[in-house]
Amino acid sequence: MIITEPPAGVEASGVRRTFGEIVAVADIDLVVPPGEVTALVGPNGAGKTTLLLVLATLLKPDQGRISVAGHDPVADPGAVRARTGWMPDTFGTYDTLTTRETLEFAAAAYRIPAGRRADRASELLALVHLSEYLDRPVHVLSRGQKQRLGLARALVHDPSVLLLDEPAAGLDPRSRIELRGLLRRLAADGKAVLVSSHVLAELEATADRVVFVDRGRSVSAQALAELPRSERRPWRLRALDAEALLTSLDRRRVEHGPAEPSGIEVLLPDDEAAAELLTALVRDGVPVVTFAPSGSTLEAAYLAMTEDRR
Amino acid sequence: MTLEGVRTMALHEFRLRLRAGRWRWLLGAWFATLLVLTVFLRWALVEAGLREPGADMFGGLMLFMLGLALLVVPALTAQSVNGDRERGVLATLLTTLLTPAEIATGKLIAAWGVSVVFLVVSLPLVAWCVAEGGVSVTRVAVCLGVTALLLGVICAIAQCLSSLLARSTTSAVLSYVVVFALTIGTLIAFTLALAVTQQTVTVGEPGGQASETMQSRPDRVWWLLAPNPFIIVADAAPRPAEPSDLGIQLDLLGEIGRAVRSTREEITVEGDQVVYTATDKAVWPYGLAANLALGVGALALTTRRLRTPYAKLPKAVRVA
Repeated sequence: MIITEPPAGVEASGVRRTFGEIVAVADIDLVVPPGEVTALVGPNGAGKTTLLLVLATLLKPDQGRISVAGHDPVADPGAVRARTGWMPDTFGTYDTLTTRETLEFAAAAYRIPAGRRADRASELLALVHLSEYLDRPVHVLSRGQKQRLGLARALVHDPSVLLLDEPAAGLDPRSRIELRGLLRRLAADGKAVLVSSHVLAELEATADRVVFVDRGRSVSAQALAELPRSERRPWRLRALDAEALLTSLDRRRVEHGPAEPSGIEVLLPDDEAAAELLTALVRDGVPVVTFAPSGSTLEAAYLAMTEDRR
Repeated sequence: MTLEGVRTMALHEFRLRLRAGRWRWLLGAWFATLLVLTVFLRWALVEAGLREPGADMFGGLMLFMLGLALLVVPALTAQSVNGDRERGVLATLLTTLLTPAEIATGKLIAAWGVSVVFLVVSLPLVAWCVAEGGVSVTRVAVCLGVTALLLGVICAIAQCLSSLLARSTTSAVLSYVVVFALTIGTLIAFTLALAVTQQTVTVGEPGGQASETMQSRPDRVWWLLAPNPFIIVADAAPRPAEPSDLGIQLDLLGEIGRAVRSTREEITVEGDQVVYTATDKAVWPYGLAANLALGVGALALTTRRLRTPYAKLPKAVRVA
């Protein structure tokens, strides 16, 4: 007999969840493969948090087929919980406990044997750089530090699937970079990581794949490397001689914004137009030092997706 | 449900409770209140000419302590579940491998444990009553045991309400309504039922005319009194075989017990005579059983309310 390993990541199709009249999730398809970081991107109220609650075995979907770590979260929530780490957008804490006690309780709740809980707690606190807070009560932690503690808590039972709701919220720049590194490491370990976020520039550096959701529907899902790069978007130009740049742009009738210390913004239809403009500027003898898309590819794709909302 | 799971939850919850409140002050105030009561009670009893005030001191102390505990316990437990939700720690707890039954039972044991601590703090005063004489150790054990069980039931009900209602203030208020229903409500219900179930009987005056009178039938509605915690404790207290003949003996618990048991007197109309047949049937086993059934039901309902994934959510409730 051949025992086939069930798919380890998340596979969901046609997920729908309503609260009375309100449709929080209308129809979402989602694949989170193991070994990759998948970003869940969408405007406020798009249904991201509700979807994560469904995947985390807290809400029953009205419709749809879901498999998390190879198990159905409705039929067998216990099996899903044993293999899934979920971090809510607002991570509540037992303020009177120390960080060590918080993690040791989580370990006990995930039925980790008593002898291994203390080691696991110090291991995880080291992982999220909170070791010096081992015996400090949680209420002294800042918001970002609590967020990191929440991440450590979600990792306590070494889950194969991670569901993180806005993990970067409240983190300082350094912590964000560390979070990025940590998520990449976890994915490299073979975990399936799903991250919802608004910080698009952050996701671009972290995620392998992106799923756009809007008004409860998955709009598109693609690998980040395949995101269209030739869309109409703003570019930022800067030259040693700003006057020469402006004159050259005006002569070529290129639509542009005002001259700012950071440069001049121009709106170009696609990458070909950008290449042409750069060649022309150089030919004009404009000393160009910066010629780059302003904003990230992900941001551009996001803005294109949500354009019809305005 | 595993013992280890319940233990994990109970210890965690107990630790949180221990760190949350100003227990030293609360328990100190509790003890001081009961001490003042006991001192004055003894003074009054001795002034009244009792040579052995122990039994009445004990009875008074037990009833007062029960009353005070009924005021304190709901407040301790009424935010057990919805308070966790308000603090945002419930959802992460529900996604762990602890089962709903383990969470509900563990939380209940911790809440109950705290109420038992209040009883334990009162033990020196109980010992004083025993030292005064006239109180058997069995009586002390039964009274304290039954009181502890009843407080457990109140904890279970308050916890259940906190799992049913979104806001902890609402569940606290409703817990007090339940306590009111069990204490005052049962008395009102009994009195009203007594009036409603009155029977018209024709009784003959000895050597005179027969007349119609209204005959109340407590034997039919006595059970309405049974769930009253005060009655349960008083009636459960084992009575001394013979009433003591040392001076005036009131025996508070015994008197309440006797009064309640008298409601179970058999009343029959034979010819034109109403015949009362005295019985000594206990009321407390029914009351205690009813309370324990309430407690078990409340725990089962709490467990059900903690079972996720949720299909329906009450209005204005967020899972996480």
